[in-house]
Amino acid sequence: MTRFIMRRLAEIVPVLFVIVTLVFFMIRLAPGGPFDTEKSVPPEVLENLEAYYHLDQPLYRQYLMYLGRLVHGDLGPSFKNSNFSVNELIGLGFPVSLELGLYALAVALVIGLASGISASLKPNSARDYVPMSLAMAGICIPNFVLGPLLVLVFALWLGWLPSSGWDGPLYKILPALTLGAAYAAYIARLTRGSMLEVLSQDFIRTARAKGLSEARVVLRHALRGGIQPVVSFLGPAAAGLLSGSFVIETIFQIPGLGRLFVQAAFNRDYTMILGTVLFYASLILVFNLAVDVIEAFLDPRIREEHRNHA
Amino acid sequence: MPLLDIDNLRTWFYTRNGVVRAVDGVSLQVEPGETLGIVGESGSGKSVANLSYLGLVPSPPGRIVSGTAMFDGIDLIKAPGPVLRSIRGKRISMIFQDPMTALNPYMTVGKQVMEPLLVHDGLGRAEAADRAVQMLESVGLQDAAGPEARMRAYPHQLSGGMRQRVMIAMALVTHPQLLIADEPTTALDVTVQAQILELIKQMQQRLGTAMILITHNLGVIAGTCDRVLVMYAGRFLESATTRDLFYSPRHPYTRALMDSMPSARKPGEDLYTIPGLPPELTSEIVGCPFAPRCAHAKDVCRRRPALLQEVAPNHATACTRVQAGEL
Amino acid sequence: MPDAMQNGEILEQGGPSGAEKGTSLWKDAFHRLGKNRLALCGGIFLAFMVALSLATPWLAPYAYDAQDLKLGAASPSAGHWLGTDTLGRDQFTRILYGGRISLMVGFAATAVSLLVGVLYGAIAGYVGGRTDSVLMRIVDILYALPFTIFVVILMVFFGRNMMLLFLAIGAVQWLTMARIVRGQVLSLKQADFIDAAVVLGYSRRRIILRHIIPNVLGPVIVYTTLTIPNVMLLEAFLSFLGLGVQAPMSSWGVLIKEGADVMEEYPWLLLFPSIALSATLFALNFLGDGLRDALDPRAAKD
Ligand SMILES: Nc1ncnc2c1ncn2[C@@H]1O[C@H](COP(=O)(O)OP(=O)(O)OP(=O)(O)O)[C@@H](O)[C@H]1O
Ligand SMILES: [Mg+2]
Repeated sequence: MTRFIMRRLAEIVPVLFVIVTLVFFMIRLAPGGPFDTEKSVPPEVLENLEAYYHLDQPLYRQYLMYLGRLVHGDLGPSFKNSNFSVNELIGLGFPVSLELGLYALAVALVIGLASGISASLKPNSARDYVPMSLAMAGICIPNFVLGPLLVLVFALWLGWLPSSGWDGPLYKILPALTLGAAYAAYIARLTRGSMLEVLSQDFIRTARAKGLSEARVVLRHALRGGIQPVVSFLGPAAAGLLSGSFVIETIFQIPGLGRLFVQAAFNRDYTMILGTVLFYASLILVFNLAVDVIEAFLDPRIREEHRNHA
Repeated sequence: MPLLDIDNLRTWFYTRNGVVRAVDGVSLQVEPGETLGIVGESGSGKSVANLSYLGLVPSPPGRIVSGTAMFDGIDLIKAPGPVLRSIRGKRISMIFQDPMTALNPYMTVGKQVMEPLLVHDGLGRAEAADRAVQMLESVGLQDAAGPEARMRAYPHQLSGGMRQRVMIAMALVTHPQLLIADEPTTALDVTVQAQILELIKQMQQRLGTAMILITHNLGVIAGTCDRVLVMYAGRFLESATTRDLFYSPRHPYTRALMDSMPSARKPGEDLYTIPGLPPELTSEIVGCPFAPRCAHAKDVCRRRPALLQEVAPNHATACTRVQAGEL
Repeated sequence: MPDAMQNGEILEQGGPSGAEKGTSLWKDAFHRLGKNRLALCGGIFLAFMVALSLATPWLAPYAYDAQDLKLGAASPSAGHWLGTDTLGRDQFTRILYGGRISLMVGFAATAVSLLVGVLYGAIAGYVGGRTDSVLMRIVDILYALPFTIFVVILMVFFGRNMMLLFLAIGAVQWLTMARIVRGQVLSLKQADFIDAAVVLGYSRRRIILRHIIPNVLGPVIVYTTLTIPNVMLLEAFLSFLGLGVQAPMSSWGVLIKEGADVMEEYPWLLLFPSIALSATLFALNFLGDGLRDALDPRAAKD
């Protein structure tokens, strides 16, 4: 297992390298630059600015310089927020996004797993249809619709919850629900499907024939196999929870990394864009690795495969 | 007093394509310690009949329409869930056909064998583990590194025969009074089949367990069972001691089955097959279910319900014509 | 968010289903689909929406950019069934035109992903060996990319034109399709009935045309149906961020964004486009689910 993890970690570096290179040249070869909008800036100041950020150098030199700093973990200064480095900005925004993402994940897992399992135990009954219809709704009502609707009802009409900001527990309810809803829906459907599949297998009948309680049959025998697709889904879901927060953070005006990234993209803040993309990509890669490790932990056959391939 | 006494059991499946009368009015008794064989073609309802009184028929679509199954004064059909569960896996155990899929792939063999002890006998982990090791040893699951190493194995690491040995250990570890073996050797290599059958017999004798052995192989019956029931289209057509069944089969279906055994033919001769197919179970069968394929069928066979009746001591058959002495 | 909603995961795990039975399988599938009322409603609703958007130029009561500044945002009335927006533009007309764009993006971008994904997956699966492992490794790596971010960058830096939107979205969505097709082709290559066809001496062409393509088609159709709503979501998401289609053109995402900005005063401006988008997504998902159940007899058992 350790060897498997080591090998996968070693693979992350080249992938990140490819991403940096791709994004670097993509945004640099595109027309426009970070100082386009500031029309009032006199030419000599602009020149100074460009010199300061080395924008006057050949592109490959800039690329090499960027890589050179990257090796030391330095993502460079932000072009737009000139008082901050990209590292600092990520340090400010990410904890907020992380908190939001974790709440949403908790919402998604608790609601999704519970309703999915419960539906699979009584298929084609009200206990199946009601949550599964809700799940379908969760998938078909996108978060940028759900968010404003929730705000309209609970903040503007009923006045129970604040409509935007990130100041206390009450502020976190609507964003977490909005972000988590679609994932809860998806996890519920996934769980129901795979639990039904597992529950129809022979070894479940064996477990019942052993006289185990239904709870034990479900928890000890079915659940391991039943949640495997959910675990695999958590990799992309984590990515989605992070990037999905663009919209949520915009709607609820939350000072998270998602909003910073969208602003950076609009402002062509080169270093900030590169920095956030790299940061997101590393997160996703590490998360996918974690998912693989959990899968191996759940299924002895996968574990063996890893051992054989290591 | 019989250990298990089943009367007029009917289990039907309510499917989209109609009601499948998978088990349609069967009765049987098992005495303590005896071995009862149930033989029949695929789809005749052998598995469903036995899963029914253990409460293991998937529902929906399955439903037990009528019948009682008395086990030690308790009607298993009506027994509440907890009572049934306290019997299942403790006093009545089951071995399934396919050891590849019947064991939990996510759990070590040891945990699976220990589980009935933990649940039913309230043993502690250490004690249960000891008993499981002993049991695995006595079913012949050896390992160069000792039986403890086998406890830690996962099913996919074992061969088919080894897995079936695990199933046997798991079923017998609680010393049940009745073992239901549903085609325990069908999925195995021919060479392994005999070993497994021998093992089951040995273990059964050692523990004094009664057994219902389900099979479509008459050869398996011959070497193992005291009594045999012949099942066809959800009903029993003949009931006899093994000896009587083989030496003087009475029902035309049983005789056809005997004829279709490869060993009943001389080398080089064509194999015999019964013409036609078993009936659809979705429509009610009024007369004898075998009549459409039977060489001796007359009009009355299709009209009159065929019920099991004794035609000789301890030998019952459901053929009206045999009962009337015409065959 | 949209790229995480890979409906394909469930499909990917199943091999070819009920493979060899060719035509009767399709007949059965149609039969089962016909019996699935939700899927049927979804299909009908979808056909209706497509017809509406094709006929929009003749149907729409107003020009899509006709303003009535004096009127401003008015609630639904006989003259304006779904009300008007802050510039006095007829909301019903705007939703019709927005639907045209949203559906077009949905179909066109799905077509891009279909083309790329099927070709890529089929080549990887059919050629096999090293080519396969290299191609699939690339897919694995691409899977790990934060795609929504990529699309955002693309749209910001290369202007917001429709072609690019199709390409960007299509490029995001082909990965799962490639995996599904490859998996199907691989397992078909090893399937007994293909061996049988080889033994019988059928030509490669015949094997591909008569056996492989029909069997790959099922999952591809299902996944395509489920890709369209994903794509429409992604488009709406970009439009919501201000990166999609540009004024005075509109899509449902744009309308939702505009509605959300003024929802306190004029809630109908948020409500109606949201209903239009969600209803279409429902229809597509029901149809997709129905198709999956119909084409995979194992999954349809209960
Ligand atoms: N879940 C179910 N739904 C519908 N019909 C069922 C179900 N389970 C069993 N049946 C039907 O019940 C009948 C009897 O099946 P059963 O499994 O008891 O046969 P069997 O005699 O054990 O056959 P085999 O030798 O193949 O194991 C079959 O016709 C089968 O189609
Ligand atoms: Mg059976």
